[in-house]
Amino acid sequence: MKVLLIEDNVELASSISAFLAREGYICEISYNIRDAQDKLISFQYDCVLLDIMLPDGNGLEILRFMRQEKLQSSILILSAKNSLDDKIIGLEEGADDYLTKPFHMPELNARLRAIYRRKTLNGSNIIAFNEITLNIDTFEAWVNGTQLDMTRKEFDLLMYFMVNRNRVLSRQSIAAHLWGDYTDNLSNFDFVYQHVKNIRKKISAASGTDYIGTVYGLGYKFHTSRQ
Amino acid sequence: MKIVDRFTLWFLGVTLLIIPINSYITYNSIKKEIDKAAVERLKHVNARAAEQLARGEAVGEFMQGCRIKATPSDSTMPADFFLITDRDVKHDPDLEDYDRKITVASWHQISGVSYKIISGDYVTRSEQILAGLRVSIFWKLIILIGLVVLTARLASRLVLAPFYNTLKKLQHFNLRSRKKLEFKPTRTKEFNELNCFVGKMTDKAVDDYISLKEFSENASHELQTPLAIIRSKLELMSEYNIEGEEAVLISDMQNAVDKLTRINKSLVLLARLENNEYESQETLNFSRFVRESVNTFCDLVTLKGLTMEYRIEENVDVKLHAALVDILLNNLVGNAIRHNYPGGHISVELTAGKLVISNTGHEPQEPVEEMFRRFRKGAGCQNSVGIGLSIVKQICDMNGFTINYRFQAGHHIITVDFPPASVSSKLLQNDARSLHEKTQL
Repeated sequence: MKVLLIEDNVELASSISAFLAREGYICEISYNIRDAQDKLISFQYDCVLLDIMLPDGNGLEILRFMRQEKLQSSILILSAKNSLDDKIIGLEEGADDYLTKPFHMPELNARLRAIYRRKTLNGSNIIAFNEITLNIDTFEAWVNGTQLDMTRKEFDLLMYFMVNRNRVLSRQSIAAHLWGDYTDNLSNFDFVYQHVKNIRKKISAASGTDYIGTVYGLGYKFHTSRQ
Repeated sequence: MKIVDRFTLWFLGVTLLIIPINSYITYNSIKKEIDKAAVERLKHVNARAAEQLARGEAVGEFMQGCRIKATPSDSTMPADFFLITDRDVKHDPDLEDYDRKITVASWHQISGVSYKIISGDYVTRSEQILAGLRVSIFWKLIILIGLVVLTARLASRLVLAPFYNTLKKLQHFNLRSRKKLEFKPTRTKEFNELNCFVGKMTDKAVDDYISLKEFSENASHELQTPLAIIRSKLELMSEYNIEGEEAVLISDMQNAVDKLTRINKSLVLLARLENNEYESQETLNFSRFVRESVNTFCDLVTLKGLTMEYRIEENVDVKLHAALVDILLNNLVGNAIRHNYPGGHISVELTAGKLVISNTGHEPQEPVEEMFRRFRKGAGCQNSVGIGLSIVKQICDMNGFTINYRFQAGHHIITVDFPPASVSSKLLQNDARSLHEKTQL
């Protein structure tokens, strides 16, 4: 997947592109609107990561520009301004999703994957890895042909793991993914631990491989190499 | 007490003090003048009697309505000597009326014989003067008080108009509207000074408020990007083969960044709420949101070994911005889960106009009033930022909901009352209006 990252902060841009590169994305960076417009016209991207506040104008201009030029790339807005207006306008102007800074990298990855699935893979609703299959429309999880009895949150969490294979997922990142931004009172990570434990138990019960492991001190990881 | 009443009372007090003094002076001067006139008249009568005697005519008992008596006398006195006496006499026992009689005696040398001429007359008695004065004072007072009371309000309305104008403007003054106050110039020096002063103060307050707002908004927004950088670098770092103590260090940093992020987001949200950026024009189906929220937290309730029951009335409509509903509910239900003990109980009840969330828990150690303040947290919640309830409170205040907390029989009970849909959500304006009504003249 080819991604254009439009972000004026060099440090953040390098972090994001490093992360995306590890995921196997091809990532190019523009630090301002003019450069972004040049790149958008010259090359084709599957997805555009767009910062709203740019040195030479508002990122929303890019949205309008892309619509004018009839560019088909998916757009994910990354904004430091946690403003509802920006979000609504952004989505109305044709953006596919909206993420507020500071975000967790695995979250960015999950959102990117979701957008990509919706648009490029013509809405394929199946995520599969070896014996585990998820249907993201019906929220059903199958292991070796057995359907798992999962709650909605457990399903979300398993999907988060499946999308971020071989990535360390911190407890903070998982909590934010499951319960959103304003989960001040849910920062008790016992809940995360409980959820992960339940998923592992359920997969094992269906004779699936226990791919999910604890990374000491840091969180959890979905190990694709486990047998 | 109003200014006009105070002035009126003061004026009446001064009047009441002055009137007795004034009447005493009046009484004395009238009495003196009457006596003086009577004495002058009697002197004149005596002189006339002396002339009559000199012409050889006898003097009658009365002359010019005054009793007169001329007798030859042994003693001689200078021509300009008069003996004046006055006494109260009972003129007529039947009438039982007292009178005051003034007599004037003078000595005259007529044809070598010395005569003593005495004349006397009755004059108005002091009591009678006082009686007259009393009536006049009474009427004077009535007219004075009447006029003062009647005209004071009118006068104060005219004179104090600029003052009341300033007062009204101050009551409607709202820092959040960021509008500076403007006053009409008046002819009264004090009011001009007052307006000038008030104007300067409110301008300063507005300026300070704006710069404070700008500062906190900028600070919050500018913090987001560095936070994003730190978080992303930490996440990249944890992808390496980190083990043991290094992992714990990274984890601690992640926790701190996470907390910082949450504080920052909450503060931005509070600032936005204060700016009325989430003003709602439409009502939404609150029942649906409550049900969703309860479902979202089902897992957590089970994980913590709690039981939850809920009674949600259908189609409860509430005027609230959609973005705030989740924040409101998640904070309230989340708190009910967090401040609970294993095996505890939560109940959520939504009826038209009221949401009641109660949960078992330990008795709060802090004063209940402190609960809704920022960065207050109960014991044993080290992970929390302590801003959730103050966000809830702010949301409630901004939308005209009333939120109440009480601890009763081992249960924390939070009640949110929604105003009827027709009532305007602007609490602040309502306050201002009622204040304004109270100060109407």
